[in-house]
Formats: sequence, C-alpha cells, structure tokens
Amino acid sequence: MTRHQLQILSLVLVGVVSFGLPLVLRSPTYLHILILLYLYAYLTSSWNLVGGFAGVLPLGHAAFVGIGAYTSTILSLQYGLSPWIGMIVGGILAVLVGILIGLPTFKMRGAYFALATIAFGEGIRVMVENIDYIGPLKLNGPRGLEIPPLKTGLTHFMFAGKEPYYYIILVMLILVITITYLISQSKLGYYLNAGGEEPEAAMALGVNVVRCKLIALAMSSFLTALAGTFWAQFTLFIHPKSVISLDMSFEIAFIALIGGRGSIAGPVLGALLLRPVSDFSRIYFGDKLPGLHLIIFGVVLILVMLYQPRGLQEPLTRAYNRLLDRLTGARAEQALGRSRA
Amino acid sequence: MKILEVNNLSKDFGGLRAVDNLSLAMEQGEILGLIGPNGAGKSTAFNCIAGVYPPTEGTIRFCEERINNRKPWDLCKQGLARTFQIVKPFSSKTVLYNVMVGSFANTDRKSTARDKALDVLDFLHLADKRDLPAGSMTIADRKRLEIGRALATEPKLILLDEVMAGLRPTEVDEMVDIIRKVRDSGISVFLIEHIMRAIMALSDRLAVIHFGKKIAEGAPKDVAADENVIKAYLGDEYVVS
Repeated sequence: MTRHQLQILSLVLVGVVSFGLPLVLRSPTYLHILILLYLYAYLTSSWNLVGGFAGVLPLGHAAFVGIGAYTSTILSLQYGLSPWIGMIVGGILAVLVGILIGLPTFKMRGAYFALATIAFGEGIRVMVENIDYIGPLKLNGPRGLEIPPLKTGLTHFMFAGKEPYYYIILVMLILVITITYLISQSKLGYYLNAGGEEPEAAMALGVNVVRCKLIALAMSSFLTALAGTFWAQFTLFIHPKSVISLDMSFEIAFIALIGGRGSIAGPVLGALLLRPVSDFSRIYFGDKLPGLHLIIFGVVLILVMLYQPRGLQEPLTRAYNRLLDRLTGARAEQALGRSRA
Repeated sequence: MKILEVNNLSKDFGGLRAVDNLSLAMEQGEILGLIGPNGAGKSTAFNCIAGVYPPTEGTIRFCEERINNRKPWDLCKQGLARTFQIVKPFSSKTVLYNVMVGSFANTDRKSTARDKALDVLDFLHLADKRDLPAGSMTIADRKRLEIGRALATEPKLILLDEVMAGLRPTEVDEMVDIIRKVRDSGISVFLIEHIMRAIMALSDRLAVIHFGKKIAEGAPKDVAADENVIKAYLGDEYVVS
C-alpha cells in the first residue's frame, strides 16, 4: 500500500467512526458531549482562519456567535422564517460587523489587537443585555430568548433526539475543515501566513496585508455566526451570557493555542483534548469545585506552551508521519540496510 | 529610458531631515551604488522609493510614472522589488514557501507560482535547501533568500539594502556574481553597500550621501578620489592635497 492510499484510508476510517458513533453510543449525555466537542472544533477552526493563519489573536469571536444566534432566533420567532435562512442572514450580518471591527483594529499589533477585540465583544454583549427592543425586533435584554419546541423536522431545524444535531454539526465541521485546507493551499493562505509572520516583508512582496486579513475575518465571522444558529437551535434558549460570553471567546483561543494555531488539525485536536476535560470536570466536580475546568485548562495551556509551543499538532503530526513511514517504507528500509551491509 | 528618477527628495522625521534634497537618476539595466557613512539616510531614501514612507518633498518616478504615495504592494506588482537590511524571512516556513509568496505576485495559480519559485531557487543555487525552514539557515543563505523572494516577483528594478553585510569574503564574491547575473537578466539594480571592494567592482555609477545630502556622484574610481567623500568617511585630516 502506498503512503497516499494509507492517508486516505485513515481519513475514511475517521469518517466512518465519527458517522457511526451514534449507532453505538446510545447515551444522550455522551452524544451531548460529542456535539459540544464538534461545535468547539468547528468554532475554533473558523477562528483559526484569522487567529491562526493571519497571525493575530482575536478574543471577541463570541460576538459573532451571538449575532448568528440572535438573528436566526428573532427571524424565526417573530417572522416565522426557517432558521436555515436566518443562519445565512446572521452570517452576512456577522461579516458586516466583522469588517467594521477589523477596519480599525487590524492597524494594531499583538496585545493591543487582542484587547481591542475583547472590548468589541464585551461591548456587544453589554448592548444586548441592555436592549429590549431594536425597533420591532425583540431582543429581550438579559432574560434572553426562548425557542418553543413546537414544530420539529429538518426545515424547522429542530429535532426530538440528539442524533440529527450530531450529524448536522459533524457535516458543518467537515465543511469548515475542507475550507481551511483549501485556503491553506491557495494564494490567500500563503499571503495570510506571510502577512502574519513578517508584515513588512510581505507588503514588499506584493501582499496587501490588511486586505487579506479583512477577507479572512469576513470568512471567519460568517462561519462563526452559523455555529451561533446551531447553538440556538440545539439549546432552544439563548441569552447574552450564554452566546456572547467572554468565556467562550477565551475557550476558543485556548483550544487553538493548545491544539496548534495555524494548522488544520490543531483546532480539532485541541477540542478533542480540552472539551472532555471541561465536561467531565463539570460532571464530577461541578458541585464541589465549580470552575475547576478553567484551572485545568490553565495548567494544560502552561504545560503545552512550555514543551510544545506550536501546539500538540506538531508532535502528533510527526508521530503520524513516522507511523506511515513504518507501514510503507519498511521494505525500502530493509533493502537499504542490506545494501549497506 | 530612465527606470528611476528621484527629484529633490526630502524626508523629515519630526525636526530631523533624514534625506535632504536628493536627486538621482538611473538608466535601465544599470547598477547604481549608494554609499555613505552610518546614519546618512541611505535606507530612508530606499524606504521612500519603495513606498514605505511618503516623501516630505520631491518626486519619485519609476518607469516615467510618478509613484510618490503608492503603497509597497502596488509598487511590487508594477515591478519594483526590494530587500531589507535586517533580513525578514518567514522563519517557520520553508525556503520554497518563502519564495512562492513572492512569485504569487504575478499569478493566482499555485503550480505556476511553484515553478517560478523553483526557477529562482535554481538561479541562486538554493534549490537543494528548498525544504528547510527559512529560520534555520545561515545568514549568507538568508540574504540570498531575501534576493530570491524579490526576484520571484519578476521586478524591473530591484533595491538591495546591504545584502553583503555580515558575509565572509568568499560569500561576498558569490554575491557579487549573483548581482551581476541579476543585471545580465535585464533587471536594473540599485544597491546600498558598505563593503567597498564589492560595490566598487559592481557599480556602473556610485552616489555618496552624507547627512541626507548627496556629496558626490560618478564613476566609482572618481568618487573614491573625491575630497568630500574622503572627508565624510575619514575626517578632515586625511585629505591629501
């Protein structure tokens, strides 16, 4: 078997396992944990387009989740629009807000950019918390919006069981990973990486750094807002603290940093490691030691930054490549050894 | 045709005039050297031409077109490339990746960009290092990579800012050969350099600036004999009269 075939085989295996899991795993608790895991892998992959490729550290992405969640929910509650349509509208709205945020902030560097995005994210949360109505649109301030589970089915984006949600977020995750891969192989991907690492050199080589970052942010905020609609339809209740929280923005960044910023597998690996830590520490210590998962996050982050500053993705990729070498190159190596002897 | 024409260029930083009323012209296919003591304003002049700083006064023409307030990335696409005195490789990426960022200036297709980049690496004898991360290379190779990225954008004029600083004598000789080859391929070269042996051998003409002002211009051997130039470099006592 060639190396390429093995790579495809392992991808197919991962695909089969993830699509088959709900058939084996009947417990709704575990399904719920998996759905959140995929959701965070999705959110982090979307974040990665800016936070990873473009080399900046945005810490306000929850704002886009909120925009997506509120837009589709308001449109479906007040105007009876299908959340699928609201999802797209929310995405477009998030792009506009993203560009408005990006225009002034992309001129800043490092910590200043991160702080400015926190300010924008928090600003939007405080606004939503204090506004009951925008014209005819009911935001309902801090009390949030409840989606009554009246009509189920695909067109209403509402289901009795957890399995459909599982498959929807899985497909969304696969799509966003594909998009990330395609971008990393394109001119835009090269330009983003270049502009993130050495902006002055990139500009001298013909890269309009700010424009590239804005394009990346637009795509990232669109994709992030889609997850907001998913979140709203999955939990059927949204309020500012749940969908526009700073905690969520931070968790996305944590996952990316631990998994490996700027890589394709990083966000997924980070979510695979951190989400179970978060969920199980909440299940087992939630009553006695609330907030323990954040301490564990911190410890894991420190350890990873000390020993694998580029994230877990790097040693794991190396191990995977070595495994492929061993499986494919075994015979070639033997031949080499014999000729040497 | 004049490829580059700088007329009465001045650049102020607050109260400091870094470049003062500088005028230069370059023919197509020429190698023009720019020398001067440290802090004379050489790099600032380069940065004005490359679009990093807007000039305070004066005009800059490239291919007979006024380019005063144009952005670096637009200038690059018009055919004006530059290197940096302090090299700025995309350290975590491979050599090939670095050069491909340059070659994307004229194409949107990855395969075309890759072919162009491989040509450039061959030209610079860096082809065997193409898969190394740029950050792990020696300074000589990094300087060469700087030129490679600039060449990959297919420039008409290339501005080289001290590409020989920090190199060993044999490496300087190699670099001199490379720059000659670049010129022979039809690209005009404007270079700043401190290594006299190299710049004397390379330049068709040499300009000297001191405190932002041009104090001499002409053939290398005339410039080296110029009284003002010797004063600027060595001090007043060294003038033989």
